[in-house]
Amino acid sequence: MFDHVEAFHRPRSIPEAVRLLRLKGRGARVVAGGTDVIVQADREIRALVDITGLGLDYIRKNGDGWAIGATATMSSVANSAAMRAFAAGIIAAAAATCGSVQLRNMATVGGNLANASPAADLAIPLLALDATAVAAGERGRRGMPLADFFTGPGKTSLDGRLLVEVLIPLPPRGRTGWSFQKLGRTEVDISLVSLAAGLQLDAKGRVKFARIAMGAVGPMPLRARAAEQTLAGHALDENLIGAAAAAAAREAQPISDLRASAEYRRDMCGALTARALRECARQAGCSL
Amino acid sequence: MNTMEIHLQVNGESKRWSIAPGDLLLDVLRREGYFGVKRGCERGECGACTVLLDGKAVNACLMFAAQADGREILTIEGLAQGDRLDPLQEAFLDHGAVQCGFCAPGMLLNARALLMSNPDPTEDEVRDALSGNMCRCTGYVKPVEAVLAAARAYRRRSKAARTGGAR
Ligand SMILES: Cc1cc2nc3c(=O)[nH]c(=O)nc-3n(C[C@H](O)[C@H](O)[C@H](O)COP(=O)(O)OP(=O)(O)OC[C@H]3O[C@@H](n4cnc5c(N)ncnc54)[C@H](O)[C@@H]3O)c2cc1C
Ligand code: FES
Ligand code: FES
Repeated sequence: MFDHVEAFHRPRSIPEAVRLLRLKGRGARVVAGGTDVIVQADREIRALVDITGLGLDYIRKNGDGWAIGATATMSSVANSAAMRAFAAGIIAAAAATCGSVQLRNMATVGGNLANASPAADLAIPLLALDATAVAAGERGRRGMPLADFFTGPGKTSLDGRLLVEVLIPLPPRGRTGWSFQKLGRTEVDISLVSLAAGLQLDAKGRVKFARIAMGAVGPMPLRARAAEQTLAGHALDENLIGAAAAAAAREAQPISDLRASAEYRRDMCGALTARALRECARQAGCSL
Repeated sequence: MNTMEIHLQVNGESKRWSIAPGDLLLDVLRREGYFGVKRGCERGECGACTVLLDGKAVNACLMFAAQADGREILTIEGLAQGDRLDPLQEAFLDHGAVQCGFCAPGMLLNARALLMSNPDPTEDEVRDALSGNMCRCTGYVKPVEAVLAAARAYRRRSKAARTGGAR
Protein backbone atom coordinates (compact mmCIF):
# COMPACT_ATOMS: atom_id res chain seq x y z
CA MET A 1 0.00 0.00 0.00
CA PHE A 2 2.82 2.38 0.88
CA ASP A 3 5.45 0.92 -1.47
CA HIS A 4 6.24 4.35 -2.88
CA VAL A 5 7.30 5.74 0.48
CA GLU A 6 11.00 6.52 0.31
CA ALA A 7 11.72 7.66 3.84
CA PHE A 8 10.37 7.64 7.37
CA HIS A 9 11.60 10.64 9.34
CA ARG A 10 11.56 11.04 13.10
CA PRO A 11 12.40 14.69 13.76
CA ARG A 12 13.44 15.58 17.31
CA SER A 13 12.39 19.23 17.32
CA ILE A 14 9.59 21.37 15.92
CA PRO A 15 11.94 23.43 13.68
CA GLU A 16 13.38 20.19 12.27
CA ALA A 17 9.88 18.86 11.55
CA VAL A 18 8.84 22.13 9.91
CA ARG A 19 12.00 22.13 7.78
CA LEU A 20 11.42 18.53 6.68
CA LEU A 21 7.84 19.30 5.68
CA ARG A 22 8.96 22.20 3.52
CA LEU A 23 11.87 20.27 2.00
CA LYS A 24 9.73 17.29 1.03
CA GLY A 25 6.80 19.41 -0.13
CA ARG A 26 3.64 17.77 -1.37
CA GLY A 27 4.96 14.22 -1.11
CA ALA A 28 5.46 14.58 2.65
CA ARG A 29 2.82 13.55 5.15
CA VAL A 30 2.76 14.12 8.88
CA VAL A 31 2.10 10.95 10.88
CA ALA A 32 0.90 11.21 14.47
CA GLY A 33 -1.19 8.16 15.39
CA GLY A 34 -1.38 7.15 11.74
CA THR A 35 -4.97 5.94 12.00
CA ASP A 36 -6.28 8.23 9.26
CA VAL A 37 -3.09 8.26 7.16
CA ILE A 38 -3.05 4.46 6.88
CA VAL A 39 -6.75 3.98 6.15
CA GLN A 40 -6.63 6.70 3.47
CA ALA A 41 -3.65 4.95 1.81
CA ASP A 42 -2.69 7.91 -0.39
CA ARG A 43 -0.30 6.58 -3.04
CA GLU A 44 1.27 10.00 -3.57
CA ILE A 45 3.06 9.89 -0.21
CA ARG A 46 6.87 9.77 -0.58
CA ALA A 47 8.01 10.74 2.91
CA LEU A 48 6.43 10.13 6.30
CA VAL A 49 7.24 12.55 9.11
CA ASP A 50 6.53 11.03 12.53
CA ILE A 51 5.88 13.88 14.98
CA THR A 52 5.45 11.78 18.13
CA GLY A 53 9.03 12.52 19.22
CA LEU A 54 8.47 16.26 19.59
CA GLY A 55 7.20 16.21 23.18
CA LEU A 56 3.74 17.40 22.13
CA ASP A 57 1.76 14.81 24.09
CA TYR A 58 0.98 17.10 27.02
CA ILE A 59 -2.25 18.26 28.64
CA ARG A 60 -1.36 21.24 30.82
CA LYS A 61 -2.62 24.46 32.34
CA ASN A 62 -2.20 27.53 30.20
CA GLY A 63 -3.04 30.67 32.15
CA ASP A 64 -6.65 30.24 33.26
CA GLY A 65 -7.32 27.69 30.54
CA TRP A 66 -5.73 24.54 29.15
CA ALA A 67 -3.32 23.52 26.42
CA ILE A 68 -3.56 20.13 24.74
CA GLY A 69 -0.50 19.13 22.69
CA ALA A 70 -1.10 17.89 19.15
CA THR A 71 0.09 14.34 19.86
CA ALA A 72 -1.87 13.81 23.09
CA THR A 73 -3.80 10.60 22.44
CA MET A 74 -7.54 10.18 22.75
CA SER A 75 -6.88 7.76 25.65
CA SER A 76 -4.79 10.28 27.55
CA VAL A 77 -7.47 12.95 27.11
CA ALA A 78 -10.31 10.57 28.01
CA ASN A 79 -8.46 9.42 31.14
CA SER A 80 -7.15 12.82 32.24
CA ALA A 81 -8.65 13.85 35.58
CA ALA A 82 -8.33 17.51 34.55
CA MET A 83 -10.16 16.97 31.26
CA ARG A 84 -12.87 14.95 32.95
CA ALA A 85 -13.55 17.90 35.23
CA PHE A 86 -13.08 20.85 32.85
CA ALA A 87 -16.35 22.14 31.28
CA ALA A 88 -18.29 19.19 32.70
CA GLY A 89 -15.82 16.87 30.99
CA ILE A 90 -17.06 17.35 27.42
CA ILE A 91 -13.58 17.14 25.85
CA ALA A 92 -12.84 13.89 27.69
CA ALA A 93 -16.31 12.58 26.80
CA ALA A 94 -15.74 13.21 23.10
CA ALA A 95 -12.31 11.54 23.24
CA ALA A 96 -13.81 8.52 25.02
CA THR A 97 -16.27 7.96 22.15
CA CYS A 98 -13.60 7.84 19.42
CA GLY A 99 -13.45 4.29 18.12
CA SER A 100 -12.19 1.41 20.22
CA VAL A 101 -9.65 1.27 23.05
CA GLN A 102 -7.01 0.24 20.52
CA LEU A 103 -7.81 3.20 18.30
CA ARG A 104 -7.84 5.66 21.19
CA ASN A 105 -4.38 4.47 22.26
CA MET A 106 -3.02 5.62 18.89
CA ALA A 107 -5.29 8.38 17.59
CA THR A 108 -4.23 11.91 18.53
CA VAL A 109 -6.08 15.18 19.07
CA GLY A 110 -3.94 16.95 16.46
CA GLY A 111 -4.58 14.21 13.90
CA ASN A 112 -8.31 14.43 14.51
CA LEU A 113 -8.31 18.18 13.82
CA ALA A 114 -5.75 18.21 10.97
CA ASN A 115 -7.60 15.40 9.19
CA ALA A 116 -10.61 17.76 9.17
CA SER A 117 -13.31 15.16 8.76
CA PRO A 118 -16.78 16.71 9.09
CA ALA A 119 -17.30 14.03 11.75
CA ALA A 120 -14.12 14.77 13.76
CA ASP A 121 -15.43 14.27 17.27
CA LEU A 122 -12.83 16.30 19.19
CA ALA A 123 -13.52 19.33 17.04
CA ILE A 124 -17.05 19.62 18.41
CA PRO A 125 -16.42 20.35 22.11
CA LEU A 126 -13.32 22.36 21.16
CA LEU A 127 -15.38 24.58 18.83
CA ALA A 128 -18.01 25.06 21.52
CA LEU A 129 -15.27 26.08 23.97
CA ASP A 130 -13.80 28.71 21.58
CA ALA A 131 -10.48 26.87 21.26
CA THR A 132 -7.52 28.26 19.33
CA ALA A 133 -5.35 26.11 17.06
CA VAL A 134 -1.65 26.96 17.20
CA ALA A 135 0.37 26.19 14.06
CA ALA A 136 4.15 26.33 13.58
CA GLY A 137 5.70 27.25 10.25
CA GLU A 138 8.99 28.62 9.08
CA ARG A 139 7.97 32.08 10.17
CA GLY A 140 7.13 31.02 13.70
CA ARG A 141 3.91 30.20 15.52
CA ARG A 142 0.48 31.56 14.92
CA GLY A 143 -2.82 30.94 16.66
CA MET A 144 -6.17 30.94 14.89
CA PRO A 145 -9.68 30.36 16.16
CA LEU A 146 -10.63 26.74 15.53
CA ALA A 147 -13.69 28.04 13.67
CA ASP A 148 -11.30 29.44 11.00
CA PHE A 149 -9.09 26.36 11.00
CA PHE A 150 -11.52 24.16 9.05
CA THR A 151 -12.05 25.26 5.46
CA GLY A 152 -13.80 22.25 3.88
CA PRO A 153 -14.02 18.45 3.99
CA GLY A 154 -10.44 17.30 4.69
CA LYS A 155 -9.21 20.88 4.34
CA THR A 156 -7.64 23.21 6.86
CA SER A 157 -5.81 26.51 6.78
CA LEU A 158 -2.61 24.75 7.94
CA ASP A 159 -1.09 24.91 4.44
CA GLY A 160 1.91 22.69 5.15
CA ARG A 161 2.44 23.96 8.68
CA LEU A 162 2.48 21.84 11.81
CA LEU A 163 -0.40 21.94 14.26
CA VAL A 164 1.36 22.24 17.62
CA GLU A 165 -1.40 22.53 20.21
CA VAL A 166 -4.92 23.68 20.94
CA LEU A 167 -5.56 26.29 23.60
CA ILE A 168 -8.82 26.29 25.48
CA PRO A 169 -9.72 29.48 27.36
CA LEU A 170 -11.46 29.38 30.71
CA PRO A 171 -15.20 29.29 29.94
CA PRO A 172 -17.67 31.58 31.73
CA ARG A 173 -18.33 30.71 35.35
CA GLY A 174 -21.38 30.80 37.59
CA ARG A 175 -24.62 29.08 36.53
CA THR A 176 -23.22 27.08 33.63
CA GLY A 177 -23.65 23.75 31.95
CA TRP A 178 -21.88 21.81 29.19
CA SER A 179 -22.92 18.71 27.29
CA PHE A 180 -21.53 16.46 24.55
CA GLN A 181 -23.88 14.16 22.62
CA LYS A 182 -22.98 11.62 19.98
CA LEU A 183 -25.15 9.41 17.88
CA GLY A 184 -23.38 6.49 16.23
CA ARG A 185 -24.46 3.30 14.53
CA THR A 186 -22.37 1.16 16.85
CA GLU A 187 -20.03 1.69 19.77
CA VAL A 188 -16.97 2.04 17.55
CA ASP A 189 -18.40 3.72 14.45
CA ILE A 190 -17.84 7.33 13.47
CA SER A 191 -20.58 9.80 14.36
CA LEU A 192 -23.85 10.14 12.45
CA VAL A 193 -24.26 13.38 14.34
CA SER A 194 -22.26 14.75 17.25
CA LEU A 195 -23.06 17.90 19.14
CA ALA A 196 -21.75 19.99 22.00
CA ALA A 197 -23.54 22.76 23.85
CA GLY A 198 -22.65 25.21 26.60
CA LEU A 199 -24.80 27.68 28.51
CA GLN A 200 -24.37 30.37 31.11
CA LEU A 201 -27.50 31.73 32.81
CA ASP A 202 -27.89 34.96 34.73
CA ALA A 203 -29.56 35.18 38.14
CA LYS A 204 -32.99 35.43 36.50
CA GLY A 205 -32.49 32.32 34.41
CA ARG A 206 -31.86 34.21 31.15
CA VAL A 207 -29.22 32.93 28.75
CA LYS A 208 -26.10 35.10 28.99
CA PHE A 209 -23.84 32.91 26.89
CA ALA A 210 -24.64 30.06 24.50
CA ARG A 211 -22.50 27.80 22.35
CA ILE A 212 -23.62 25.00 20.07
CA ALA A 213 -21.25 23.09 17.77
CA MET A 214 -22.16 20.17 15.56
CA GLY A 215 -20.38 17.46 13.60
CA ALA A 216 -21.17 15.24 10.61
CA VAL A 217 -23.95 17.56 9.44
CA GLY A 218 -21.98 19.77 7.05
CA PRO A 219 -18.76 20.00 5.02
CA MET A 220 -16.84 20.61 8.26
CA PRO A 221 -17.46 20.85 12.00
CA LEU A 222 -19.78 23.84 12.45
CA ARG A 223 -20.96 26.33 15.03
CA ALA A 224 -24.77 26.65 15.04
CA ARG A 225 -24.71 30.43 15.26
CA ALA A 226 -28.40 31.05 14.52
CA ALA A 227 -29.36 28.60 17.25
CA GLU A 228 -26.98 30.35 19.66
CA GLN A 229 -28.62 33.70 18.80
CA THR A 230 -32.07 32.22 19.34
CA LEU A 231 -31.04 31.47 22.91
CA ALA A 232 -29.15 34.63 23.82
CA GLY A 233 -30.93 36.99 26.20
CA HIS A 234 -34.05 34.87 26.66
CA ALA A 235 -35.34 32.98 29.65
CA LEU A 236 -34.48 29.30 29.30
CA ASP A 237 -37.56 27.07 29.08
CA GLU A 238 -38.82 24.18 26.96
CA ASN A 239 -40.17 26.57 24.30
CA LEU A 240 -36.81 28.25 23.91
CA ILE A 241 -35.05 24.88 23.74
CA GLY A 242 -37.49 23.79 21.03
CA ALA A 243 -36.82 26.96 19.03
CA ALA A 244 -33.04 26.54 19.35
CA ALA A 245 -33.27 22.88 18.32
CA ALA A 246 -35.30 23.85 15.24
CA ALA A 247 -32.78 26.56 14.38
CA ALA A 248 -29.85 24.12 14.69
CA ALA A 249 -31.63 21.59 12.47
CA ARG A 250 -32.22 24.33 9.86
CA GLU A 251 -28.57 25.38 9.99
CA ALA A 252 -27.32 21.85 9.48
CA GLN A 253 -26.27 21.00 5.91
CA PRO A 254 -26.21 17.22 6.09
CA ILE A 255 -25.70 14.81 3.21
CA SER A 256 -26.95 11.25 2.75
CA ASP A 257 -24.38 8.48 2.82
CA LEU A 258 -24.23 4.81 3.64
CA ARG A 259 -24.59 5.54 7.34
CA ALA A 260 -27.68 7.77 7.35
CA SER A 261 -29.92 9.94 5.19
CA ALA A 262 -29.72 13.73 5.23
CA GLU A 263 -33.28 13.95 6.63
CA TYR A 264 -32.45 11.64 9.52
CA ARG A 265 -29.28 13.56 10.31
CA ARG A 266 -31.19 16.86 10.30
CA ASP A 267 -33.88 15.48 12.63
CA MET A 268 -31.27 14.04 14.96
CA CYS A 269 -29.40 17.33 14.97
CA GLY A 270 -32.52 18.93 16.45
CA ALA A 271 -33.02 16.07 18.91
CA LEU A 272 -29.42 16.17 20.13
CA THR A 273 -29.56 19.97 20.49
CA ALA A 274 -32.59 19.67 22.76
CA ARG A 275 -31.01 16.83 24.72
CA ALA A 276 -27.76 18.77 25.18
CA LEU A 277 -29.53 21.98 26.25
CA ARG A 278 -31.64 20.12 28.82
CA GLU A 279 -28.47 18.63 30.25
CA CYS A 280 -26.86 22.10 30.39
CA ALA A 281 -29.98 23.50 32.09
CA ARG A 282 -29.87 20.76 34.70
CA GLN A 283 -26.22 21.50 35.49
CA ALA A 284 -26.98 25.24 35.67
CA GLY A 285 -29.70 24.53 38.23
CA CYS A 286 -32.55 25.57 35.93
CA SER A 287 -35.65 23.40 36.36
CA LEU A 288 -37.16 24.42 32.95
CA MET B 1 13.61 0.14 -2.63
CA ASN B 2 14.92 2.02 0.42
CA THR B 3 15.24 0.13 3.64
CA MET B 4 15.78 1.13 7.25
CA GLU B 5 16.57 -0.67 10.49
CA ILE B 6 14.43 -0.83 13.57
CA HIS B 7 15.34 -2.21 16.99
CA LEU B 8 12.56 -3.41 19.21
CA GLN B 9 11.62 -5.98 21.85
CA VAL B 10 9.12 -8.63 20.82
CA ASN B 11 7.87 -10.92 23.57
CA GLY B 12 10.93 -10.05 25.63
CA GLU B 13 13.44 -10.76 22.86
CA SER B 14 15.59 -8.09 21.28
CA LYS B 15 15.06 -7.79 17.51
CA ARG B 16 16.77 -5.82 14.78
CA TRP B 17 14.77 -5.83 11.58
CA SER B 18 15.29 -4.35 8.17
CA ILE B 19 12.06 -2.83 6.86
CA ALA B 20 10.81 -0.56 4.10
CA PRO B 21 9.83 2.90 5.37
CA GLY B 22 6.20 2.37 4.35
CA ASP B 23 5.83 -1.14 5.85
CA LEU B 24 2.92 -1.68 8.22
CA LEU B 25 3.56 -3.30 11.59
CA LEU B 26 1.02 -6.05 10.82
CA ASP B 27 2.89 -7.10 7.66
CA VAL B 28 6.29 -7.04 9.33
CA LEU B 29 5.18 -9.08 12.34
CA ARG B 30 3.64 -11.74 10.11
CA ARG B 31 6.69 -11.73 7.83
CA GLU B 32 8.81 -12.40 10.92
CA GLY B 33 6.64 -15.39 11.81
CA TYR B 34 4.23 -13.97 14.39
CA PHE B 35 1.15 -15.49 12.78
CA GLY B 36 -0.90 -15.01 15.95
CA VAL B 37 -1.20 -11.42 14.76
CA LYS B 38 -4.22 -11.93 12.52
CA ARG B 39 -4.95 -10.12 9.29
CA GLY B 40 -8.62 -9.17 9.33
CA CYS B 41 -10.21 -5.95 8.06
CA GLU B 42 -6.89 -4.05 7.81
CA ARG B 43 -8.68 -0.83 8.69
CA GLY B 44 -8.89 -0.73 12.45
CA GLU B 45 -12.36 -2.17 12.82
CA CYS B 46 -12.06 -5.85 13.77
CA GLY B 47 -9.25 -5.96 16.35
CA ALA B 48 -7.86 -9.28 15.05
CA CYS B 49 -4.41 -7.68 14.65
CA THR B 50 -4.27 -6.33 18.23
CA VAL B 51 -0.85 -6.37 19.90
CA LEU B 52 0.39 -4.65 23.05
CA LEU B 53 2.78 -1.75 22.45
CA ASP B 54 4.52 -0.76 25.68
CA GLY B 55 1.61 -2.46 27.46
CA LYS B 56 -1.16 -0.70 25.54
CA ALA B 57 -3.47 -2.39 23.06
CA VAL B 58 -3.09 -1.11 19.49
CA ASN B 59 -4.11 -2.29 16.02
CA ALA B 60 -1.00 -3.49 14.18
CA CYS B 61 -2.76 -2.78 10.87
CA LEU B 62 -2.98 0.94 11.69
CA MET B 63 0.70 1.44 12.51
CA PHE B 64 3.80 1.84 10.45
CA ALA B 65 6.46 -0.65 11.54
CA ALA B 66 8.89 2.26 11.87
CA GLN B 67 6.68 3.63 14.66
CA ALA B 68 7.58 0.55 16.74
CA ASP B 69 11.29 1.42 16.75
CA GLY B 70 12.63 1.37 20.31
CA ARG B 71 9.35 0.02 21.71
CA GLU B 72 8.24 -3.20 23.34
CA ILE B 73 5.67 -5.46 21.69
CA LEU B 74 3.73 -8.37 23.13
CA THR B 75 2.01 -10.74 20.70
CA ILE B 76 -0.09 -13.74 21.64
CA GLU B 77 2.99 -15.95 21.15
CA GLY B 78 4.45 -14.29 24.25
CA LEU B 79 1.46 -14.46 26.59
CA ALA B 80 2.01 -17.95 28.05
CA GLN B 81 5.06 -18.59 30.28
CA GLY B 82 6.59 -21.54 28.44
CA ASP B 83 4.08 -24.37 28.84
CA ARG B 84 2.09 -22.51 31.48
CA LEU B 85 -0.91 -20.75 30.00
CA ASP B 86 -1.82 -17.30 31.21
CA PRO B 87 -4.92 -17.22 33.47
CA LEU B 88 -6.72 -15.43 30.64
CA GLN B 89 -5.97 -18.27 28.24
CA GLU B 90 -7.11 -20.82 30.86
CA ALA B 91 -10.31 -18.90 31.41
CA PHE B 92 -11.05 -18.66 27.67
CA LEU B 93 -10.66 -22.45 27.41
CA ASP B 94 -12.70 -23.17 30.54
CA HIS B 95 -15.56 -20.93 29.42
CA GLY B 96 -15.69 -22.10 25.83
CA ALA B 97 -14.83 -18.58 24.71
CA VAL B 98 -12.85 -19.84 21.72
CA GLN B 99 -14.70 -21.30 18.74
CA CYS B 100 -12.92 -20.76 15.42
CA GLY B 101 -10.34 -18.80 17.39
CA PHE B 102 -9.60 -16.11 14.82
CA CYS B 103 -10.49 -13.29 17.22
CA ALA B 104 -8.88 -14.91 20.27
CA PRO B 105 -5.33 -13.48 20.06
CA GLY B 106 -6.64 -9.93 19.78
CA MET B 107 -9.27 -10.40 22.49
CA LEU B 108 -6.80 -11.97 24.89
CA LEU B 109 -4.22 -9.24 24.46
CA ASN B 110 -6.77 -6.46 24.72
CA ALA B 111 -8.19 -8.10 27.85
CA ARG B 112 -4.66 -8.42 29.22
CA ALA B 113 -4.10 -4.67 28.85
CA LEU B 114 -7.43 -4.00 30.53
CA LEU B 115 -6.66 -6.22 33.53
CA MET B 116 -3.19 -4.71 33.96
CA SER B 117 -4.68 -1.23 34.32
CA ASN B 118 -8.00 -2.20 35.94
CA PRO B 119 -7.72 -5.44 37.96
CA ASP B 120 -11.38 -5.45 39.00
CA PRO B 121 -13.45 -4.34 35.98
CA THR B 122 -17.24 -4.38 35.87
CA GLU B 123 -19.00 -6.32 33.12
CA ASP B 124 -19.71 -3.01 31.37
CA GLU B 125 -16.05 -2.07 31.46
CA VAL B 126 -15.11 -5.43 29.95
CA ARG B 127 -17.72 -5.04 27.21
CA ASP B 128 -16.54 -1.51 26.51
CA ALA B 129 -12.91 -2.60 26.31
CA LEU B 130 -13.73 -5.51 23.97
CA SER B 131 -15.90 -3.37 21.69
CA GLY B 132 -12.97 -3.10 19.28
CA ASN B 133 -12.69 -6.88 18.90
CA MET B 134 -15.19 -8.50 16.58
CA CYS B 135 -16.14 -12.11 17.02
CA ARG B 136 -18.32 -13.88 14.47
CA CYS B 137 -18.78 -17.09 16.50
CA THR B 138 -19.28 -16.73 20.24
CA GLY B 139 -21.78 -13.88 20.57
CA TYR B 140 -19.42 -12.27 23.13
CA VAL B 141 -21.13 -13.68 26.24
CA LYS B 142 -18.48 -16.30 26.90
CA PRO B 143 -15.46 -14.08 26.22
CA VAL B 144 -16.87 -11.51 28.66
CA GLU B 145 -17.44 -14.20 31.31
CA ALA B 146 -13.93 -15.51 30.70
CA VAL B 147 -12.34 -12.09 31.17
CA LEU B 148 -14.24 -11.57 34.44
CA ALA B 149 -13.12 -15.01 35.64
CA ALA B 150 -9.53 -14.29 34.64
CA ALA B 151 -9.69 -11.00 36.55
CA ARG B 152 -10.52 -13.00 39.69
CA ALA B 153 -7.65 -15.38 38.97
CA TYR B 154 -5.19 -12.49 38.44
CA ARG B 155 -6.31 -10.93 41.74
CA ARG B 156 -5.88 -14.23 43.60
CA ARG B 157 -2.43 -14.60 42.13
CA SER B 158 -1.27 -11.10 43.06
CA LYS B 159 -2.74 -11.51 46.57
CA ALA B 160 -0.78 -14.75 46.97
CA ALA B 161 2.36 -12.94 45.81
CA ARG B 162 1.72 -10.11 48.31
CA THR B 163 1.25 -12.42 51.30
CA GLY B 164 4.89 -13.40 51.02
CA GLY B 165 4.49 -16.28 48.58
CA ALA B 166 3.15 -18.49 51.39
CA ARG B 167 2.82 -21.94 49.86
C1 LIG C 1 -11.91 2.22 12.98
C2 LIG C 1 -11.82 3.70 13.11
C3 LIG C 1 -12.72 4.37 13.93
C4 LIG C 1 -12.67 5.76 14.08
N1 LIG C 1 -13.55 6.36 14.90
C5 LIG C 1 -13.53 7.71 15.04
C6 LIG C 1 -14.47 8.38 15.87
O1 LIG C 1 -15.33 7.77 16.51
N2 LIG C 1 -14.41 9.73 15.93
C7 LIG C 1 -13.48 10.45 15.25
O2 LIG C 1 -13.49 11.67 15.35
N3 LIG C 1 -12.56 9.85 14.47
C8 LIG C 1 -12.57 8.50 14.33
N4 LIG C 1 -11.64 7.89 13.52
C9 LIG C 1 -10.69 8.70 12.75
C10 LIG C 1 -9.28 8.88 13.37
O3 LIG C 1 -8.95 7.82 14.21
C11 LIG C 1 -9.17 10.18 14.13
O4 LIG C 1 -9.39 11.25 13.25
C12 LIG C 1 -7.80 10.36 14.81
O5 LIG C 1 -7.89 11.32 15.82
C13 LIG C 1 -6.69 10.76 13.87
O6 LIG C 1 -5.52 10.94 14.63
P1 LIG C 1 -4.14 10.27 14.21
O7 LIG C 1 -3.15 10.76 15.18
O8 LIG C 1 -4.27 8.83 14.04
O9 LIG C 1 -3.94 10.99 12.80
P2 LIG C 1 -2.96 10.65 11.60
O10 LIG C 1 -3.54 9.58 10.77
O11 LIG C 1 -1.58 10.51 12.08
O12 LIG C 1 -3.09 12.05 10.83
C14 LIG C 1 -4.32 12.47 10.26
C15 LIG C 1 -4.07 13.61 9.27
O13 LIG C 1 -3.64 14.78 9.94
C16 LIG C 1 -2.32 15.13 9.58
N5 LIG C 1 -1.69 15.52 10.85
C17 LIG C 1 -1.67 14.79 11.99
N6 LIG C 1 -1.14 15.49 13.00
C18 LIG C 1 -0.80 16.70 12.48
C19 LIG C 1 -0.21 17.88 13.02
N7 LIG C 1 0.13 17.96 14.32
N8 LIG C 1 0.00 18.93 12.20
C20 LIG C 1 -0.36 18.87 10.89
N9 LIG C 1 -0.92 17.80 10.33
C21 LIG C 1 -1.14 16.72 11.10
C22 LIG C 1 -1.74 13.93 8.90
O14 LIG C 1 -0.78 14.28 7.93
C23 LIG C 1 -2.97 13.31 8.27
O15 LIG C 1 -3.28 13.96 7.07
C24 LIG C 1 -11.68 6.50 13.37
C25 LIG C 1 -10.75 5.83 12.56
C26 LIG C 1 -10.81 4.45 12.42
C27 LIG C 1 -9.81 3.77 11.56
S1 FES D 1 -6.96 -6.20 10.89
FE1 FES D 1 -6.43 -4.61 12.22
S2 FES D 1 -8.30 -4.08 13.11
FE2 FES D 1 -8.90 -5.51 11.63
S1 FES E 1 -14.28 -17.42 17.88
FE1 FES E 1 -14.55 -17.19 15.77
S2 FES E 1 -14.37 -15.08 15.50
FE2 FES E 1 -14.37 -15.26 17.61
